[in-house]
Formats: sequence, C-alpha cells, structure tokens
Amino acid sequence: MKTHALLRTLAIAASLAIGVPLSAHHSNAGFSTDKVIELTGTIKEFQFTNPHTWIQVIVEDAKGAKVEWSIEWGSPNSLGRQGIRPSTFPPGAKVTIRLRPMLTGAPAGGFVGAKFEDGKIVGRWE
Amino acid sequence: MRALPVFLAVTVWVAPALCVAQSASATSRPYDTLPDWSGVWSMVGGTVFDRATQTGQGGAISVGVRSHPPYNAEWEAIYQSHLERRDKNLFPDTISNCGVPAGFPRHFNLPDPYEFVVRPEQVWVLTENGPNVLRIYTDGRKHLEDQWATYTGDSVGHWEGDTLVFTTVALKGFRDKDVILDRTGLVLSDQSHATTRIRKTDPKTIQVEMTIEDPRALTKPWVVTKQFQKMPAGTRVYDYGCAENNRNPADVDTGKTLILGPDGKPLNK
Repeated sequence: MKTHALLRTLAIAASLAIGVPLSAHHSNAGFSTDKVIELTGTIKEFQFTNPHTWIQVIVEDAKGAKVEWSIEWGSPNSLGRQGIRPSTFPPGAKVTIRLRPMLTGAPAGGFVGAKFEDGKIVGRWE
Repeated sequence: MRALPVFLAVTVWVAPALCVAQSASATSRPYDTLPDWSGVWSMVGGTVFDRATQTGQGGAISVGVRSHPPYNAEWEAIYQSHLERRDKNLFPDTISNCGVPAGFPRHFNLPDPYEFVVRPEQVWVLTENGPNVLRIYTDGRKHLEDQWATYTGDSVGHWEGDTLVFTTVALKGFRDKDVILDRTGLVLSDQSHATTRIRKTDPKTIQVEMTIEDPRALTKPWVVTKQFQKMPAGTRVYDYGCAENNRNPADVDTGKTLILGPDGKPLNK
C-alpha cells in the first residue's frame, strides 16, 4: 500500500492550541502553540508507555522518502481512563493525524486528533 | 513454677509493646471516628502553584505567567532568573529525568489522581504522578530534633474535628536544585516548613490549605490553598513508571527539554 503524505498548515484559533494538557511530565519541549499540521501515513507503533504515549507514523515526504514521525500524547494512565487502549492505533493502519509540529521542523509534534480510513476519529477533529 | 517464665516473658517482651501501643492509641483516633476521604481525587485547575496570585495568561510554562509569593529581594531575584529561563524553554522540570520525588509542597500541585488514605495512626496522600507518597503521622510522635532534610520532609499532625492539621519540616527545598514548586520556577529554601490543614468541604471536595514559612526566602507566611475534586466512582489508579519510556529528558547542560526520536537521539538538541 502506497503511503500518501499530505502536509498542510491549518489555520486555527490560538485558543485551540494553547493550553493543550499534553505535558504532564515535562516543560515546553518546543511544539508550536499556534498552528496545527495534518499528515497521512501508516501506523508503525503505538508506544502505550509512561510517562507519555507516542504514536510512530511512517509518512512519505515530497521526494518519496519514508520518514518516521513521533507524535506525543498524554500518559497511558489518563488516556486509559478515557477509553484509549494500546490497540487504538494498530500497526499497519492508515491514518490522517493532526498535530502541533516542532518549531525546529523535526518530524515530531504534539497529538491533536486522528481520523482512520473507516471514519473513526480519535482525539479532536473539529 | 511454669508460671514464672510466662510472667517474665510478658514483662520483658509484651509489656513494652503494650506501652508503645498505648502511647500511640492515646492520640490516634479509632477508625469509626475518622472522616471518609475514600475515592480518587484530582487537583482543580492547572499547576501554577499559587493560582490566587497568578498574573499572566496560560499555564506554568506560558511566557509571562508567574505567582507572587512574599519573597525577599534575594529570592525574588532567584525567581526572576528562573522565569527568564522558563520563557526561553530552558528551565527544566526537576522530575523530567525521573527518579526523584516531587517533594513538599509540590506534592499538592500535581496532575493525575490523588488518594487520601486515612488510618488511625497515619494518613497517606498518594499521587499517581511520580508516584509520590506523603506520610503524615497522627500517632502522637514528634518531629526528630536531628531529622535530616529530604524531598518530602517529615510530617506529624493531629485531628481537630474532621480537619487534619500537620506540620512538615526537614525539607531540602532548592538546596540541591532538585525540588521546585511548579514549572514557572517557584522554589523555597532548605529552611522552609509548613503547617497544613486538610478537610472535606463538601462530599466532592477536599481542601488543602498550606501556610508556608521560610526565614531565608519569605518575608511573611505564605498561604496557598488547593482544591481536589472527587473523580467518578470506580476510577482506577495505575503505575506511573516514569523511566519506562522517557523521551523528554532535560538536557543537563542547558536545561532544555529534549524530544528523543525513535533512535533515542534528540530531535531538538
């Protein structure tokens, strides 16, 4: 299955991004607070581990190279209490993810929401 | 003749134990007279330690946000230097590298669930985040005169009706630069101590009022109140293995919070 990458900036209200309770464990790590990007790729791994969970996604860039993105989310404990499970992001699934990107341009960011091919939504997808 | 060894055994071994038990029970309250603080609780509001004096918009890591403790000039300058580093994302959270307790009074300024375990001789305040344990002895014991400083210190207290009142001493504070109160950079000295009052103000709220004194850092007592609300019945509390997969360590040289990539190398060094 060819992985199609779509990377675009979404204009959003600053209030959507500011104050997202991602960092229960650490100080500001350099994620954007005023923009969200969207990318499409294939789930490699969902690290359902403390202190934070990480969604590893393989995304094809503009040159056709496969890039592994690291998308940080909350602790498995708090997410688990909200119904999220290790199986929420199964390896091999195609997904479109919205995230607050790192300011440095590195392939990482803070999770906002995800939409699977079957229409299932995880997180925020207004 | 067989009665003598038994008498001696009671005198030598059992009697002292009974004395200890009686000493403790003389000030401990029976279970059925203690308040019901069962369930799982979460702190109300964000992690700015003193929200009552907060200025600036946002949370503890937002540029410009700060509290206003009654610092003397020397410690206000220390706080200012921390705020400036925070604004540049260079003030590390001391617990980001895993392995040290949050310490007191930050114990009452953490996200995630809390449990307040009330027993006749002790009260335990457990936090999932960390995890951390605050033990408050209510069996009549006193603080040790030669107690060495620790992250969480030594807490002893008593009940005034349904209010738990306790003092906390022997705190490290910022002596070794590994205890903070919040991510704005609030800190106290190793001379800090506190008197705390905890009570249930309604069936779904526990209030913790801390009166903090610090002759090195503060010009007067600093009163900070935190509220905790009851989480839904049946809420589970889990492991918090901070070192399990910590991809956000603080750079020991710069204080910058790192993001580690899938290969373990920093993406933002």
